[in-house]
This record gives sequence, structure tokens and C-alpha cells, in this order.
Amino acid sequence: MNLAISGLKYIEEIKNGNYTIEEFVSKTLEQIQKLDGKLHAFLSLNDKAIDQAKKLDKKIQKNEKIGACFGMPISIKDNICVKGTKTTCASKMLEDFVAPYEATVISKLKSEDAIIIGKTNMDEFAMGLTTEFSAFGPSRNPWNHDYVPGGSSGGSAVAVRALECVASLGSDTGGSVRNPASFCSVVGYKPTYGLVSRYGLISYANSIEQIGPLTRTVEDLAFILNIISGIDDKDNTTVDNKNEDYLSEIDAGVEGKKIGIIKEMIGDGADKEVVSATNNALKKFENLGAKCEEISLDMVDYSVAAYYTISATEAGSNLARYDNLRYGFDFPLEGFEFNSYISKARKNFGPEVTRRLIVGGFVPSAGFAGKYFLKALKVKSKLTAEVNEAFKKVDLLLAPTVPIRPFKLGEKIDDPIALFLIDFNTVTANLTGKPAISIPFELSDGLPIGIQLLAKSMHDKALLQAAYALQNTVHLPEIQL
Amino acid sequence: MTKIGLEIHCQLTNLESKLFCTCRANYRGYEPNTNVCPICMGLPGTLPRLNQKAVEKATTIAMALNCKTPEKLAFFRKNYFYPDLPKNFQITQLNVYGPTSIGLEGKVLVDEKEIRILRIQLEEDPGRLIYEGSSEKTQITLVDYNRAGTPLVEIVTEPDFENPKQVRLFLNMLSDLLENLSVSDPELEGAIRADVNVSIQGGKRVEIKNIGSFHDLEKAIHFEITRQESLAARNIQIIQETRHWDEQRKITISARRKEEELEYRYFLEGDIPWILIDSQTLDRLKNDMPESIISKKERYISKYKIPSQVAEVLSSDKFYSDMFEQVRDETNVKDVANIITTDLMGLVDTKEKRENSKLTPQHLVELVNAIKSNKITRTAAKIALKEIVKSGKTLSDVISELDLVHVSDASELTRIIDQVLSEEIIAVEQAKTNPDTINYLIGKVMQKTKGNADPKLTLSIIQKKIQT
Amino acid sequence: MKCLILKEKIEEVAKLMRIELDDHVVYLDRVQKMIEYFDILDEADVESEKLSVQELPIKNLREDKHIPYEERIIDTLKNYKGNYIRAPKMI
Repeated sequence: MNLAISGLKYIEEIKNGNYTIEEFVSKTLEQIQKLDGKLHAFLSLNDKAIDQAKKLDKKIQKNEKIGACFGMPISIKDNICVKGTKTTCASKMLEDFVAPYEATVISKLKSEDAIIIGKTNMDEFAMGLTTEFSAFGPSRNPWNHDYVPGGSSGGSAVAVRALECVASLGSDTGGSVRNPASFCSVVGYKPTYGLVSRYGLISYANSIEQIGPLTRTVEDLAFILNIISGIDDKDNTTVDNKNEDYLSEIDAGVEGKKIGIIKEMIGDGADKEVVSATNNALKKFENLGAKCEEISLDMVDYSVAAYYTISATEAGSNLARYDNLRYGFDFPLEGFEFNSYISKARKNFGPEVTRRLIVGGFVPSAGFAGKYFLKALKVKSKLTAEVNEAFKKVDLLLAPTVPIRPFKLGEKIDDPIALFLIDFNTVTANLTGKPAISIPFELSDGLPIGIQLLAKSMHDKALLQAAYALQNTVHLPEIQL
Repeated sequence: MTKIGLEIHCQLTNLESKLFCTCRANYRGYEPNTNVCPICMGLPGTLPRLNQKAVEKATTIAMALNCKTPEKLAFFRKNYFYPDLPKNFQITQLNVYGPTSIGLEGKVLVDEKEIRILRIQLEEDPGRLIYEGSSEKTQITLVDYNRAGTPLVEIVTEPDFENPKQVRLFLNMLSDLLENLSVSDPELEGAIRADVNVSIQGGKRVEIKNIGSFHDLEKAIHFEITRQESLAARNIQIIQETRHWDEQRKITISARRKEEELEYRYFLEGDIPWILIDSQTLDRLKNDMPESIISKKERYISKYKIPSQVAEVLSSDKFYSDMFEQVRDETNVKDVANIITTDLMGLVDTKEKRENSKLTPQHLVELVNAIKSNKITRTAAKIALKEIVKSGKTLSDVISELDLVHVSDASELTRIIDQVLSEEIIAVEQAKTNPDTINYLIGKVMQKTKGNADPKLTLSIIQKKIQT
Repeated sequence: MKCLILKEKIEEVAKLMRIELDDHVVYLDRVQKMIEYFDILDEADVESEKLSVQELPIKNLREDKHIPYEERIIDTLKNYKGNYIRAPKMI
């Protein structure tokens, strides 16, 4: 029994009776035991996983109907509510919060008999790019433990790469699924805005974020997307995808497709190894029958500033509810007055969250809103228009996922702007609502480089087809875990 | 030149559910924190689910106040910290990107004066706070979220009111209007709350909050006008500020409002798309709107020739006008109007009495016909009505049970009168000179006929007999 | 001069956001750096840009129906007294 298989292969093995769900889940838990002391992908584990596996095995024995996941062990980023489990957002502010209800995506997975194996580590409240801002310690890149795994869904990417689960759900606000996917060489996806319900996702920047899966193969990603996508009356921002099947015809290929390489994303800020990998990806696409050209998006140069302005403003509002009155951590309120109590309680936010909240109070405030927040909204609108224009010329857009290669823990943590710029290539998809994917492509000095593709809104199927085509040209060496 | 403006908050108590979740809109009667769910408690990860009927009802109110209703509605966040605010922001409406709130630029006529409605917005009510212990020793605030998320329509007027009387008339008209539209029950405690702003002689505007009742509102306005006038008389500047109404002392006091607290960082609510209201929906809402009170009153006067006073009472109370519409036909219009506004009124003047009333339109139809055909007298009808409201029995049952058959035969009546006159010899003598004593005799006849005798007829027969 | 004004404003904003700053002073520099980075927005040619928004027809909104939440939420939350949530006193 090999843990290093795709989800679809796993399902086949279970169906063929080559091993039981309990055996696979057991081995997965052993893997976590073995590696997670070092990697720290998980914040909590499901102690009922084996029981749940046993129950599903019994169903199979009795020939009863079983969900499409067949007990697949899936991990969940700790900002997504799983009923009855601690959901901490990797923050001391919510260290005792047990979710009393379930996110829509979790209900959907559970109804297809997935097994939630545990909750994964992240940057606190999803604000960060390296998982170093977790209040419970960073996660480590499985390719090299001294290196960051990316963020904010770092734990998810690590768990998938290190075979501690078959797939994971993360959240992507400015690149938080694609970035760690690239750094850890897994597939990471941000759906079209509104494709996947955000009900149960603890909000950071609600107008631009989406829940996205991380998997080892593009087919697995399509499979998971089939389960979690679809209009949800609990989320007014979801759209009707008419039950589109993302897995069927995934091998359609890219013959005749036009691909645009975003000029601004392979400019001066990008490592030369990353640029060269990107050019290799373009060549591969041309060999597959696609036509490549250069596309320029002027607004990309302002996209990081716009993103951080908008996300900080929304975070400032979304995190206002953490006043420790109804949920949070143990801090008696006797002797305090309201405003001083909540100010003291909110010292439990970590330093990065604190900084972003202050920024988020500043940029939309009277006298400054015009210069910052309202300007950022205009950049967002214009960028969307530019991207829509580009999609009249090409079918897909391509860029490296991250302009630079993975770096060491602690290397960039004190330079806020250097950190911001790691998002340079990913925020465009969030600001414009377009679907985007990161596919593992090359290794450079033993560290992964991922390639990113974007498509028009609601063209997630075409995007996955292109990603699948590229994936099949990639042969990365085995990882030593 | 006194200028008064109003900011009124109306709860849409007739809706089934709250603005953003499926908890009950009318939270009264629930144990604290039992009419709640993860959404209205602002739990992490929850999202608002906008109530379609709330948007429709709010739009209807906007139409009734002659407002423009935009094609696209947008919602915004108003950010501030307060324990009654579960998310520490309120979802409300603004018009910073063009017209996007429920209604704008409306107007109504109040006592010949045109009052302009600046805007109407749809928003959520916060929860309720209870302070434990006396205000000096208060250590803890207790919070009940039952009310959090209740749909509110905020109506802001221009400062067009010139005196408290106009304000009172407006508020009464608004209450009647809301009841007529079946969107809100103004009788419910806290269903309609109002803040007011006052300025005199073109000076600074002073806002007054925390006014508990309409009665207090008038007092507050009077007080504030007086306060400002006395300051102006001594050439003291009136500062633009927010003041609180002190219910105990019946005065307004300055509410120390810090600059920073007014920074709400308004921005679009990202969890609610812009809502498109198509013209079909608008037409349907317009057509489904019940007739306005003013229109009803005019119709009653001009078409049915009902006296103005009576028409006023009938039209302004939905219970009466509904009853009237169901009972009237071409022949009995005036009689129905009459019986509702005289005999029936006293029997159903409270909400409780109306809820317990067993009266149906059919009952009234029969009653009015019975009076017209002289089957029973007005007096008997009054008794019958009371019984019907109480028991719901049919008119014929009530008539026979209470023996209310009208004595219309003059000879039968004469026989009873003769009986009374023979029993009351002294009174008969006195009646020759003292008209009051005739009333005493009529009373005796009424007793014997259980109130069924025709008073006019009885009087004329007695008078004739006494002369002889 | 710009730096001084910014620092004062930042302290004001922190209070507005209910963030206690005394031992967070060390972060003021980083916050300032972040806000200064946003000055790049001044160069973006976007003055005439209109807002792009998501739209939803009214008929797709939730039906007005009372569906009570089956569980007693108050039991799952901390810091309550009897049926009430407790909060500190208001001044």
C-alpha cells in the first residue's frame, strides 16, 4: 500500500479491495506521527478517523451505497469550520473556539464520505505568505525543512506533499493556496469567485477570497471541485455552475488554444530561474499545439498595493467581531470597562494581524479613503477590464506562480514590502475574480517552482484541461520525506 | 424659523424572519438568546442571507411615501464597536455610488405642509443591552441578541417640520400607513422609534436621541426649542451636537460624543451582491399595494356619502376599513359605517379584544339587515352585537336566546304601555307636568320589553295617553 | 513632517480599531512602511474608472420563512450568565 498515490487511484484501490479504508487511514496517521513533529502541518487531528473508516469499510462489505470519496483522508485549513472541532485560524484569539456549525464545503465532503483527517496550520487569520505568522509555530517545507512552505495555506500544502493526507482544502485571498502549492510542488486552485460557497470560511477579505483545494494531481483537483462547487443559498455571492463536471474530458488538450504570458510578471522582480522555468512552460505548451504571445496588463504594477489596501480594509471589519465576548479565549471581564476590555483582549492577535488591522483602519478613514481605499477599488476595476480585454485575444493567461523561489524561514519576516511582493503574480486573479491554478513544474536547487494559469470567469473546466495538459509534460524527481 | 427633521426606525414586525437569517422577525416573548442562530450571533464564518420579502416590503413603504425606488440596491457596512452589535458592524444602506438605498426623494403632505423624505434605507437592528445593578455600581452589561438582525426601515426626513404638532400628525399618519400596508404593527413596544433634529432661526442643528415614545418626542422638541431660544436670546452660540433625552428629568442633555467615534469606515458589503429589482416586480408591488388611507377616506366621502368624521375613523384603522369593505353593499353603506364607528368600536378597541372577537362580516351583514327590516331595534342590536363578538353565535340564535324580538306591532306595545301606566299611577300623574317622569315611564316599558320597544313609538303613545 | 503626522494618525486609528499600542510601538515603523508603499497608487491612471459589481436579481433571494435554529447556541458559547451573554460595563 503506497501513500504516494492520487486520490482517484486510491478510490480504485479501495473499490478493487486491494486494501481497506481503515488500513489506508491508519497508515496516513502513522505518516503524520512520523513526520509532523518536524513539519508541523497539523494543528489538530480527528481522533475518530479510524472509527469513521471502520464504519465505511462495513458499508462496503455489506454492499451498501457509499459516497464518491470512499473514505479519502482530507485535511482542512484551520479557518474552515468543521462542526465540533477547534477552529482557531492559527490565532490565540480563537484558541478555544469550537465551531458549533459546519461549513457548506465540509457538509458536501462528508456527504460523499470523505474523512476529515485533521485541521492544518496557516498564517494567523490567513494573513501572510509563509505560515511563519501562525501563533502556534511555522510549518516547514517538505523539500527542505529550513525553508518556508509558503502561505497562508502552508499546512495544507505540506500535508498533501508529505503524504499526510490525499487532498486538502485551503483558502486563497491573494495567492494563499497557489503560493504554498508552488513552494511545495502540489497542485493548488483558486476557483472563479462565487464558484465555491464561503459559508463556514472565517472571513479575511470576503470580496475576493475563495476556498480552494490542494492535491497531488490535476484530476484529483477536478474531482474535489465537482464535490465542493455549486450555488449555495447560505452564500449570496455564489453563482450557479449548473452542476458542471470538471473531471470529464479533462484530457481535451490545448490544441489551437491561445496562451498569453503576462509580461509584468516575468519582469525585474522575478528570479532568473523562475523566468527560465516559465519560458520552458511556454515551450511545452507550444509543443502541445497552443499558440503563445505576450500580454501586457498595466495595472499589475499597482495590484499589490491595491490588494493590500482592500484586504486590510475588509480584514479590519471582518475581524472586528473578535472582542472575546461570545467566543475566544479565557479572559475574565470583571473590573474592566467595555472598550478597555476588548482592546486588551485583542492584544491576543499576533503582530502581523495587528499591523494589518491598523492599516485597515487607516486606509478607508475620512481624509485618506480617496487616496488609498477608493483608489484601490478603481485599480481593481481597471485591472478587471484589462484582463477581460486580454481574454478577448487569448484563452488563457500564464505566469510563474511566485516571482521568487522558496526561501529560508526567518529570511523575509522583517521586511514587509518584500513579503508583499511575493504576492505580485497571484493577487490579479483575486482582484479580478478569475479562476487560477498553480501546477508543480520544475525544481531549482531542490526547491519547487510552480507555473500559474488563469482563465475567464466560469471557465474553470477549460483551465483544468490546460493544467492537465501541462502536468503530463512534467516529471519531478521523488521527494525524500 | 424653526426647522425640525426626523429619523425614524420602523421594525418590519409582520415579516416571518429576520433580515439576514431565518430566526423570527418579531422577537417579543422569547426567552433571552433563544431567537438566535450562528448568523445573527455573528459567529465566525457566517454570512448574511438577505430576506426577499423584506426588500419588497421596504420598497412598498418607499412607494407609499412617494419615493424614487432605484433599480439596483447596495448594502454597506457601518463599522463601530458596541456590545449589542454582534459583528461590530451594522449592515445598512448608503447612496455614495449613485442612488442605491430603498427609496429617495419622497414627499408627503401633513396638515397642508409638504414634508420631504430624504431617503429610506433597509438595515438590521442590533441586540438589546441590560445593565445589571444600579448605574453607578454596574459591573456587567447583559446582552440579549434576540432582536439582533430584525429588519428595520430607516426613514429620514428633511428638516421641513415647523412645529411639534406637524411631527405628531406625521407620526400618526406613518403608523397608520405602516399598519395599512401590513408591514409593521405600530402598537408593539419598540416597533417604531424616532430621533429628531431641531434648529431655530437658521442656526446649527441639534440631534436628540434616546426618545422612548411619541409622547416624549413632542415634549423633547418643545424643550429643545425653548432651550435654543433662550440661548439665542442671550446671544449664546448653539453648538451642533447630539443630545440625549432624559426621561426622568424631561430634559435634553449633551451626549459627550468623541470625534473618533464618528469614523465609520463605510464600504460596500462584499457578502451581498447588488440587488436588481426588475420592473415586473415593481409593478407587482405597486398593484398589490393596498389602497392608501387618504384615498380610502376620499372614496368613502365622495362615493358613499359618508360623513367626514366617520370616514376618518373608518379609513385610518385597517381593522375597521377591512370590515367595512367586506360588509358593505349598495344598500347598506351608511348603516354599516355607522354601526362600525358607534356600537362596534367600543367592543374591539384593543388588540386583545380584536384577537378574541368572534365577529364575522356575515354577522354584521345580518345585523344591519335586521335593523333595516325592523326585526330588532338599535338598542337590541347593540346587545346582540356584544354577544356575537363574545360567542360568535348566529344572529337568530342570539335573538331567540336573549329574547330580542322587536315589538313592532303597535297594539302589542300599547298593551304593555297600558300595563305600565296602570302600575305606575303616581308617575302618570306627575308626568302630566314633569317631562322627566315620562322618561321614567319609558324606562319601565323598556324593562318589560327587554329593551326591544321602539323608543319613538313608545314616547308618542305614552304622551297621547297621558293627555287623555 | 509627513512622518510625524502619520504616526499620530496611526495611534488614533489603533484606538479606533481597539488595538492597544503601548508595547506594540515597535510595529509603528512597519505600519508606516506599508502605508508609504501604497503611495504607488497615486501613479495609477484610474480617475474615470467605474465600479464593477456583482449583481443578483431579487427573485433569487431567500424566502421569508421562520426556521428556528435547532440547537441552543448559547450553550456552546463562553461567558454567558443564565441566558445572557455577559459584557463589561459601558461608561
